[in-house]
Amino acid sequence: MALFAASAQQEAVAAPIQHRFDPYEDNGGTILSIAGADFSVIAGDTRQSQGYNIQTRYARKVWQLTDKVVLATNGFAADGANFVKKVKQRLEWYENAHQKQMSIKSIARMIQTMLYAKRFFPYYVYNILGGIEEDGTGAVYSFDPVGSYEREACRAAGAAQSLIQPFLDNQIYFRNQTFPADQPKPIPGNLPLGTVLGLVIDSFTSATERHIEVGDGLEMYVVMAKGRAVDDLTSKGALPEGVVVEELGPLGEGGGERTFLVRRTLKRD
Amino acid sequence: MFLTRSEYDRGVNTFSPEGRLFQVEYAMEAIKLGSTTVGICTPKGVVLGVEKRVQSPLLESSSIEKIMEIDRHLGCAMSGLTADARTMIDHARVTSQMHAFTYDEQIGVESCTQAVCDLALRFGESVDDDDALMSRPFGVALLIAGHDERGPQLYHTDPSGTFVRYDAKAIGSGSDAAQQSLQDAYHKQMTLAEAYTLTLKTLKQVMEEKLDENNVQLAQVTADGGFEILNEAELKAAIESLPAERVVV
Amino acid sequence: MSIQEYNGGSVVAMVGKDCVAIACDLRLGNQATGIAMNFEKVFPVNDTLYYGLPGLATDVYTLREQLRFRVNMYRMKEEREITPETFTHLLSSTLYEKRFGPYFLEPVIAGIAPPTAANPNPQPYVSTLDSIGCITTPKDFAVAGTATDKLYGAAEGLWEPDLEPEDLFETISQTLLNAVDRDALSGWGAIVHVITKDKVITRTLRSRMD
Repeated sequence: MALFAASAQQEAVAAPIQHRFDPYEDNGGTILSIAGADFSVIAGDTRQSQGYNIQTRYARKVWQLTDKVVLATNGFAADGANFVKKVKQRLEWYENAHQKQMSIKSIARMIQTMLYAKRFFPYYVYNILGGIEEDGTGAVYSFDPVGSYEREACRAAGAAQSLIQPFLDNQIYFRNQTFPADQPKPIPGNLPLGTVLGLVIDSFTSATERHIEVGDGLEMYVVMAKGRAVDDLTSKGALPEGVVVEELGPLGEGGGERTFLVRRTLKRD
Repeated sequence: MFLTRSEYDRGVNTFSPEGRLFQVEYAMEAIKLGSTTVGICTPKGVVLGVEKRVQSPLLESSSIEKIMEIDRHLGCAMSGLTADARTMIDHARVTSQMHAFTYDEQIGVESCTQAVCDLALRFGESVDDDDALMSRPFGVALLIAGHDERGPQLYHTDPSGTFVRYDAKAIGSGSDAAQQSLQDAYHKQMTLAEAYTLTLKTLKQVMEEKLDENNVQLAQVTADGGFEILNEAELKAAIESLPAERVVV
Repeated sequence: MSIQEYNGGSVVAMVGKDCVAIACDLRLGNQATGIAMNFEKVFPVNDTLYYGLPGLATDVYTLREQLRFRVNMYRMKEEREITPETFTHLLSSTLYEKRFGPYFLEPVIAGIAPPTAANPNPQPYVSTLDSIGCITTPKDFAVAGTATDKLYGAAEGLWEPDLEPEDLFETISQTLLNAVDRDALSGWGAIVHVITKDKVITRTLRSRMD
């Protein structure tokens, strides 16, 4: 027996073992952002998974960066959390150096440079940036993991991107829809807040229904432009049943923009 | 002038017992040898003016470059050891381009000025692993003119790395007299044309030669046009619009 | 890339109020290269029963002929039309015969059986099978092909219960077009069949051709 064990051990050692450093993981989940004329909605589910295991039913994927900018991250949660930390640090440095909060367009460009700086060991994160542009319009910027970015009217990313994006193409960009001659095709990015929130909720309930990595909870950040009335969000009966609204105070001096966190549950199965 | 001058005026990294860095103070003196340079800030933009000392009739006056562009919205005039200004302006240009690249916006006038001043004290003895430092302080002062979301601004920097914002500032050999006349004539609601006139009048007053389009240079920074050096025709027009010299009978 | 995605193409079927609809794109490809834009993947069995075969094009032809043979044999032996339910099981056993060398197809079936004495009020019927014949009979819609994910998302967002034929047509058309527009291997035109008790409405859709 001892002889046999020794020879077996030797064989095992003799066999070549391939070692590979694989520091990435996919933690599932989905994020989504839609711009309005004077607001922006940035949403994400709260499930965090590893293969078929749910690590937690509440992990944040959407982060308030400034009084008018919110960032959603999706992909590898550790990279996402660390990236957000670094972005926040850069925002603070910028504020100290230039005595102003960074605009969304500048944050977008900075995120590009931060992502591209790690071109050959990337943050495995898909980012969507939402908020209010300097001219007061709602904005959405979407990124790939190495920093290619674009301003858009809407974007879905993550596990259920392939489920949600065609729906958004249809409902936000009016793709494959025809309009009567007397009614011009509407311009994307001008839908009322109620409609947009409805589409976000429908997108996530649909994704929850068909994708195992999506579910548990939904967080929707709503950033309102300066001076915009907020009764379509805060007044009684403005939102569907089971939706809770909370206003988040300004982070800095506050430029008049207001950020709200709208939550609801998603199916947990 | 420097009555307490001693061996402490040798090293660039040694304070005197009275707490002074002589080499920096001497560097400031170098500026007083430079040609007079004037900057005026108006609500419509900033005007920069320099005297060009044409020492020889054989000298090509257009080759004297004392006003330079930093970025589209930033300009700079200098006095002192103008060769030192190259290093500073190069740094300012790189900084403003880096800012535009990283933040998709133009750098602020104050931020650019701060970046230039960060260089000013990087002299002394370098440590092995440190980047090589400069051997001495800069011998030049700058007037940085620019326009950003806070409007038109004018900053003055000196070899100590200090920067201060001014409505109107004169530096260089005739700066004392020039500053006094700026103070007497400046008002907050100046037009650009008035600023040109005041700049030229101020320079004229401290210049030894007769002022003409060959021995002065003017530039402006405005919201719409950004940094522009006045061409010969524009400069001539500005000089001609000066009130006629009083002839002492 | 798997052999199921070699030629590209997608099919979707939906249940409405006393009607069903089934639709497919018209692309035939060779991996990323487009070959034809008239490749229908949905075929009639009879006036009230259609099926779609997205997957490997060569197997589309083979299985279609196999099914034509078996349905004709059924019709002659039984002297009646095959019902959607029975056809689904016929197809299932046909696929399972090739359990260890399967057809690379994911069939989708849509139909309403003609009323009979035993079943005077037949309901709209949609089913789908995997490549070895495992049956699923959803109450709402069935999707298959290279745009499966996109079809699920679009259908889940657009479909609602008890749609009338015209509304069902609009819903299935929007679902298919918006899904295949996001799929590199599907598209290049589409065709829709809406099956009601007394007629079938077939429409060819114009779509983006890139």
